[in-house]
Amino acid sequence: MAERMLDIATTINGRAETLTVASSDMLIDVLRERLGLTGTKLSCDVATCGACTVLIDGEPVASCATFAFEAEGRAVTTIEGLAAPDGTLDPVQEAFLQRSAFQCGFCTPGMILLAKALLARNPRPDRATIKNWLGANICRCTGYRMIFEAVEEAAERLARKGAAR
Amino acid sequence: MNAPLKVVGVAGPRKDAPDKVTGAGRYTVDIALPGMLHAKVLRSPHAHARVLSIDARRAAEAPGVRAVLTRDDLAGIAPTYGYFIKDQPIVALDRVRYVGDTVAAVAADTEAQAAAALKLIEVAYEPLAATAGIEAAMAQDFPELFPEPPMGIVPAYGAGASGALRPGRNNCYRFTYETGPADAFAGCDHVFEDEFHFGRGQHFHLEPFVTVARVEGGQIELWSSCQNPFPLRKELARLLRHPENRIRVHVPYIGAGYGAKNNCKTEPIAILLAKKARRPVRFCMTMEECFLTQTQHAAILRLKTGAMKDGTFVAREGHILLNAGAYADASPLVAEKAGYRLAGPYKWRRVKTDCDCILTNTTPAGPFRGFGGTQASWASESQVDMIARRLGIDPLELRLKNLIELGQPYMPGESGMDSDLKAGLKLVAERIGYGVRPRAPGRGVGLSVGFKDAGGVNKPAQARVKVATGGDIYLHCGTTEIGQGATTALSQVVAEILNAPLGRVAYAAVDTDYTPFDQGTNASSAICVMGQAVAQAAQSVKRQVLDFAAQQLKCSLDELALDDWTIRRGNESHPLNLMIMRQFGGTGMEFTGEGFYKMPLDHHAPLEAPCVSWEIGWGAAEVEVDRETGQVKVLQLVVSGDAGRAINPLVCRGQDEGSAVMGLGGALYENMLYDGTELVNGTGMSYRLPLATDVPDGFVSVLQEQGHGPGPFGAKSLGEGCMLPVASAIANAIEDAIGARVTALPLTPERVLAALDRIGRAPKRG
Repeated sequence: MAERMLDIATTINGRAETLTVASSDMLIDVLRERLGLTGTKLSCDVATCGACTVLIDGEPVASCATFAFEAEGRAVTTIEGLAAPDGTLDPVQEAFLQRSAFQCGFCTPGMILLAKALLARNPRPDRATIKNWLGANICRCTGYRMIFEAVEEAAERLARKGAAR
Repeated sequence: MNAPLKVVGVAGPRKDAPDKVTGAGRYTVDIALPGMLHAKVLRSPHAHARVLSIDARRAAEAPGVRAVLTRDDLAGIAPTYGYFIKDQPIVALDRVRYVGDTVAAVAADTEAQAAAALKLIEVAYEPLAATAGIEAAMAQDFPELFPEPPMGIVPAYGAGASGALRPGRNNCYRFTYETGPADAFAGCDHVFEDEFHFGRGQHFHLEPFVTVARVEGGQIELWSSCQNPFPLRKELARLLRHPENRIRVHVPYIGAGYGAKNNCKTEPIAILLAKKARRPVRFCMTMEECFLTQTQHAAILRLKTGAMKDGTFVAREGHILLNAGAYADASPLVAEKAGYRLAGPYKWRRVKTDCDCILTNTTPAGPFRGFGGTQASWASESQVDMIARRLGIDPLELRLKNLIELGQPYMPGESGMDSDLKAGLKLVAERIGYGVRPRAPGRGVGLSVGFKDAGGVNKPAQARVKVATGGDIYLHCGTTEIGQGATTALSQVVAEILNAPLGRVAYAAVDTDYTPFDQGTNASSAICVMGQAVAQAAQSVKRQVLDFAAQQLKCSLDELALDDWTIRRGNESHPLNLMIMRQFGGTGMEFTGEGFYKMPLDHHAPLEAPCVSWEIGWGAAEVEVDRETGQVKVLQLVVSGDAGRAINPLVCRGQDEGSAVMGLGGALYENMLYDGTELVNGTGMSYRLPLATDVPDGFVSVLQEQGHGPGPFGAKSLGEGCMLPVASAIANAIEDAIGARVTALPLTPERVLAALDRIGRAPKRG
C-alpha cells in the first residue's frame, strides 16, 4: 500500500499541534522522535506490556500499536503532561513517588497513566478492580503490590484534593 | 555512644523518584546523537549450520545504508568474546549455532532501511545436526558445536573446588566441589535419590539491549544499557585491540536487566558499524531479539542425600546439567555457584557436587537473578521436604534440626552464616499459620529456605565522595541504577556519615572516564561490597573536613562535630563554607575521599576468597489444588529477607517483593518453549509472565533486620534472595495438599495431573 502523508490537527499535553505524518507512522515514534516526549517507552512493540501507554481522550492506549493519524482531532496525554506547569506533581505521580511504586522506572509512565485513567472512571476502586486494571501492563521489577498501594493512595489524595476545592 | 541514625533506616522517597514519575529520566534508549544511524542484524534461520558464503554487496548499495558488517570485517581484531571462555563471535565466522545467531549487521539512516537491506544479504548455509536438549547434545553420536579445542581458562579455586574445560561432549565446563569422607553414605540409615528439572526463564527486562556508539579519531564513546561498564570496557579493548583508556562508557538509567546486561550484547556491533560508517550508530534490539540473545539456564538436577532415622543429615552428592545454549557466556560462573550452593544451608559431613554446562543449539544462557542459586534451591528444598515426608518428620522440624547456626561456616574455610536461619524460618511459618489451622481439602502449606552467597567472589570496589565549598556532596561509584535503588541506599549511607540531609548528596552519572573502578552491578554486591567502599570514602572526607576545621580553629579534633556543613565546637557554630573561603579564597575548594573494599584472598576458602555475605530468602506458600484440572492457586505467599540493617526499608521491600514475584513466574508459568530447535514463545505476546492479576491476595513480604551483615551499619544484601524459595515452597505445598510431588518447573496443570496419575489418585476420566 502506498505511503501517504497526512496533515493532522491534534492536542498533545494540552497544546494544539499541527503535524504532517506518514500514514504508517506510529504514535509512539512521533511522540518520541518528533516531539521529544521520550517519557513514553517502547518495549514489547506488540501492545502487550503497556510501557508505551498514553491517554487519548482519557482512554489508555498502546501508542506502539496506534497510528499517529488516529490522534487527529483528539487529545493525547503523555507522562510529561501530568505535572502542573510549575512542576507540582499530579496526585498519582506523587503517590508513586511517596510509595516507591517503581524500580527501574521503564513501566512507570505507562502505569501512572493507566492508574490515572482508572481513577478518572472509578475514584475509589477496590483492590480487585485495581488488580484487574493494572493487569493490562507489565512491571517486571516490583511484584506489583507497592503499585496497588500507590494507586490506593492516589485515590485518597485525589479525594482530599476534591474535598479541598 | 552510638548516636541515633538520622538518614539510614528512613523509608523516604528514592532519589530517582522525580525523574521516574515524570518521564524525565534518561535511559540509553532515549539517547540520540546528531547524524545517528540505526543498526539491524541478520539472524540465522538455522539452528546449526556451516556458513559457506556471505555476500553483502547488494545490501551495501541499498537505500540509506551506510555500513555493512560481516565476518570479512573482523580482520585484525579478536573476533570472539565471552567470560572465561571466549567463544561467541561478534558476527558469525564459519558456523551459526542457534536460530537467531548473529550473521551480519547493517547501519542505515532509518531502522526500516536497515531492516530492508538485511533481506539483500545472501548467505549460503550447510545445515548440521542440531538439538535444544541437554541429553541429546551429550550423546556420543551428536556433533561437537565446537570441534576446535576450548578457548578459555579455568579460574583459580581454593580448598575442595576445581574446574575443567570440555570434560565431555559439548560440555563446555565442569565445576566440582568436594569435602568430607567419601564413605559417609555407608553409615546412613537412608539414602534418597531424586531428580529435578528446572525451566528456562527469560529476563524480560523492559528496556531492550541497546547501545549508542560514537567513534571519533581514536576515541570510542558509548552509552549502553549495561550493568558492568568496567568489565565491558576491558572486554571491548581486548576485542577491538584498542587502548582501554580511549574507550569511554556512559551508563544512563537502566530499564532493568536481572542479570542479562552483563558483558557484550549490542556494543561490539554498534562500535564496528560506527567506525565503518564514521557516524554514530544506535543498535536497539526488539523484545523478540532479546529472547534470542540471553536466557536463564534450564537444568536437570540429580541429588543423592543420606540421612539418619531421626532426620540428621549426613551426606549429599549432586550432579547438575545446565543447558548453556550455544555459547559458554557466563555458564562456567553459573555452574560454580549452582554447584557450590547445591548442598543448601545445612550441616553435612560430606558434600560432593558436579555441575556441567552443556552446549545446545539454543539462545546462550547467562547470568539470571539468583545465578544458579535458583536452580540449586529448587532441587535442594524440594528434596528436603520429600525426605521429611518419607521419614515421617515434619518438614519444619527437619529443617530446624539441620540448618547451620548463626556464625557457622557454610563449608570448611568459608565465612560464617550472617543470618539466624532458624529464626527466619520460624517467622514465615508462623506468619502463614503453619501447623496451626486445620487444613481444608485440596489445600496445603509448604516451606522453603532459599540460599545463596552474596557479594560476588573476590570482588573489589572503589568509591569517591567529594564535598564542594557550599557543602554539596558528590558520590562517585560504579554501581549502576538498574532499578534496585542502590543510588538511594548508597547516598543514604554517605548522608548519614557526613551528618547531612539526603538531599545534599548527588549520585554522579556513571562514566568510566571519571567513575572509580567497580566490577559490576551484580551478585547483590552493592550494599555489602560497594557499600563498604562508599562508607570508607565518606569517613575519609569527614576526617579531612574535621582536620581542616581543627587547624583553622587551632583546637583538637575531639572538640569538634560536623553538623550539616557547620562545625560545632561546644556552643560555637562555624559555617564551613566561610572557613573554606577564608583559607582557599572565594573560588572555593573540594574535599575528596576515596574508599576501597575487597574480601582478602584465602586459599582455604573453596572459591579462593570467603563469601562476603549470605543471602537468604525464607518462603512459605499455601495453595489450593484442583484435582480435576491440575490448576494450582496460590492463596498465600509469605517471603522474608534479612536486610541486616535496612538502609531504606521501601527499597528493601521492593527488592524482596519483586524477586518473589519473579520466583512465582518461574514456579507457575515461565518457560521458553522449543519445538525442535525453534523457540515458539519468544515474544511479549506469547511468553507468559506474572501480571498484576496473578499476585495472590495473601502475598506479603516481611523484612527482617537481624543486624549481622558486613555492610555499612550492619546491612547485608537483598534483591535475589526472595526469588529462591518460591518454587519449592509451592511444590512442597502442592504435595501437602494432594500427596503428589511435582519435580519439574514450571508447575503446570499437566504436571500436577501427571503427578496425581503416578500415585493413582487422579480423578477418573472419560
